[in-house]
Amino acid sequence: MAIITISRGSYSKGKEVAEKVAARLGYACISREVLLDASDRFDIPEVKLLRAIHDAPSILDRFKHGRQIFIAYIRSALTQRVKKDNVVYHGLAGHLLLKGVPHVLKVRVIVDLADRIEAEMHRDGIGKEEARTLLIKDDQERRKWTQSLYGVDPWDSSLYDLVVHISKLTISDAVDFICQSSSKEQFKTTKAYQQKMDDLAIACQIKAALVDPFFDVAVTSEYGNVLLYTRLSDRQILKLKKRVEALGMDIKGINNLEIHAGVPSPPNAV
Amino acid sequence: MEPLTFEMILVMLMIGIAIFLFIAEWIRVDVVAILMMVSLPLLHLVTPKEAFIGLSSNAVVSIIAVIIIGAGLDKTGLINRLVRPVIRIAGNSESRVIIAISLTVAAISSFMQNIGAAALFLPAIQRVSKSLKIPLGRLLMPIGFSAILGGTITLVGCSPLILLNDLLEPFNLKPFHLFDVTPIGLALVGSGIACFILFGRLILPRGSSEGPEEGTQPELQHALEELGEPYELHTPEDFTDYREPVRVDDLKRRYLINVVGITEPPDFKVHSPTADMEVRSDIEVLVYGRAKDVRRMADEEGMVLKDDLEVFKNDVSETRSGTVEAVVAPRSPFDGKTLNQINLQDRYRITPLAIYRHGETYRAEIGDLILTVGDAILIHGTWKRLKLLQEEASLLFTTHLDVELMRPEKAAFAGFWLAVALTMIMFFKIQLSVSLMTGALGMVITRVLSIDEAYRAVDWRTIFLLGGLIPLGIATEKTGTAAWIAHAVLHAIGTVEPIVLLTVIGLLSTVFTLVISNVGATVLLVPLVVNMAIAANADPRMAALVVGLATSNSFMLPTHQVNALYMGPGRYRSVDFMKAGLLMSVIFIVVMIGMIYLIYGV
Repeated sequence: MAIITISRGSYSKGKEVAEKVAARLGYACISREVLLDASDRFDIPEVKLLRAIHDAPSILDRFKHGRQIFIAYIRSALTQRVKKDNVVYHGLAGHLLLKGVPHVLKVRVIVDLADRIEAEMHRDGIGKEEARTLLIKDDQERRKWTQSLYGVDPWDSSLYDLVVHISKLTISDAVDFICQSSSKEQFKTTKAYQQKMDDLAIACQIKAALVDPFFDVAVTSEYGNVLLYTRLSDRQILKLKKRVEALGMDIKGINNLEIHAGVPSPPNAV
Repeated sequence: MEPLTFEMILVMLMIGIAIFLFIAEWIRVDVVAILMMVSLPLLHLVTPKEAFIGLSSNAVVSIIAVIIIGAGLDKTGLINRLVRPVIRIAGNSESRVIIAISLTVAAISSFMQNIGAAALFLPAIQRVSKSLKIPLGRLLMPIGFSAILGGTITLVGCSPLILLNDLLEPFNLKPFHLFDVTPIGLALVGSGIACFILFGRLILPRGSSEGPEEGTQPELQHALEELGEPYELHTPEDFTDYREPVRVDDLKRRYLINVVGITEPPDFKVHSPTADMEVRSDIEVLVYGRAKDVRRMADEEGMVLKDDLEVFKNDVSETRSGTVEAVVAPRSPFDGKTLNQINLQDRYRITPLAIYRHGETYRAEIGDLILTVGDAILIHGTWKRLKLLQEEASLLFTTHLDVELMRPEKAAFAGFWLAVALTMIMFFKIQLSVSLMTGALGMVITRVLSIDEAYRAVDWRTIFLLGGLIPLGIATEKTGTAAWIAHAVLHAIGTVEPIVLLTVIGLLSTVFTLVISNVGATVLLVPLVVNMAIAANADPRMAALVVGLATSNSFMLPTHQVNALYMGPGRYRSVDFMKAGLLMSVIFIVVMIGMIYLIYGV
């Protein structure tokens, strides 16, 4: 009865750990499925979504809001999957996309660079230098991505509940730790926690439905009472209202919906 | 045409900045005026003396006096006494009510600030609407428009007209007398009312969906329906076992219900409990909310919903507590603040239930919403505490509370001093400011209102707006900018008949008054149009008069204070104003030009 996110660099054995944890606990193990869901639902090629969530934003992205839009789609798909509970997510940025959900066990798996280089050489059949360059570049992209969107460094261990360095500790040790931690009281899905998760899912769904073109509308939901925060002009708000009215029917669990214009959005808004 | 000098460019730049700031509203309009007051002498466009001459001008002093006289009339309940017979005469037909109240409001508005007249009548109209079962939306707009139109009946009716003679002074034009505009004003009021009587069904919103027959207690009832009824719930003995503490605020955020009463064992009742108060086991809770939400709360939180009120039965009665609707009035200290900042709960122990704005009801997290003029707040509390709030006078209560702070015994004095002021103006031809200040002083001396109350009544925003824009007018005139623009405009439109010119001026003033304030529009346009008229061989006084009148032609947008005030209680949307206002504005221009043509034979 928990949600586990496993964050990792490429070739860091995260996938293996995740699959083993899921198998042992009998949980669903998801990663790419989220992108496929989002790609299906919002009719966006998967590769575009992958780029949005993987590559560091370019200068151009500051002016276009494509990335924000894609991330809203991904987040919506992820929360839909995760709210069913008992899942291990080892895709990108799970700990950040599920911010605000109290019972998520956030794990980071790290592996020495030398081991990662070897793994990459072995799998892709490339030279050592090339593998090293690719990995370092990849890490940098991840760093820039999280820093530009969330203002944090993915290597900051305080972002996680558990960081496991797989070197002397084996994969199976890591699986033990994670399974043991997930059984702790604080990661149990209580009614209140599930409500929070459901609310996040509702907010993310609404955000995804509105984000194009209303990318700066922030959404919160508490017990299905949805609030939209915006600084749009009055005319834009009329358009937003029309869009919201059309959408009310599609999304389940909305009890009340209000647009609060000109009010600063709270930090937990999506 | 004269060449454009550097000073002219500077003046135009300042006008541009002023207009831009008026529209953009980065800073408040009166602050823009003070900015002008300070920057014009710094740029050597006016002398330092001229920069502040506005504050001691005839117009500004007259406005101060008019506001004090209006406050005096209000304090003695004279206006309220006027309302009663009016309503009796009106009977119970919608048209007659509109005609009777509109005429009265127009008459009052002709010698006090329009917004004052409109605000005074709001509670009375509310009562009429309730007792005669006419939706408020069908009454307020005609009456609000009449209040604006009534301002054109006398030269002291609205700020632009008070200002007019001062603006004519530099041109050595003959000033207007108090009642010079009266025929035009009366025609405008008449046509305004006629417009609503004839076309009211087409241009006024349908009112609430119930239609006139069921609209018994229109807006408060309507809002209450959305908010639900009082319900009493009981918490079981194991309510607090194995769970996080549930607070009053949690229930509000989760279920959008308002806890207005809670019992404390053994037998103590807390009214309007604070947000952080914990809901304990084995107690009774009184909440306001929609049935659906209350049932959901009872289910999810494990409370027992009672069929009827039991413990709180006597507390919800007419005599102990209730729900009122209060509107954020112009100049209210609440304007621009949030309910969280005002903290009604702690200060008065009353509970704001919902905010009604531009046709939308806000129920969730209303503490964060930034209040603006015209927002209607639904508040629940004991009558005693609600009265305390009313006494603070930050909110205009549209629900009547039987609270008497009035000095009805002074009504005769108030009426007397108004008559004195008007006599001085009409028969002794004493200057407006002196006559009106005499009336105001008389009221203070005869204790109709105290001098402190008089000071408090004055709207300093209007005073500085006027005082600060007058030097801009002086600069426009002194540097020859007005003449230059006038020539340029005339050059562009070619030679036209004076009547066409006046119509163009009327349209121009209407546009200006919709985007910037009526005072700002008057100050900027009068020097301009006087020059235009002189250049086109038309009567410059008439041109100025058109500006003075047409700056009251502000119906299409809820930018006029009166419209802003009535928007909330009337449940109007901007589009309602556009629909009715467009017709009204066209009629206004036609009637105004027609009357000027008939009377002055332009």
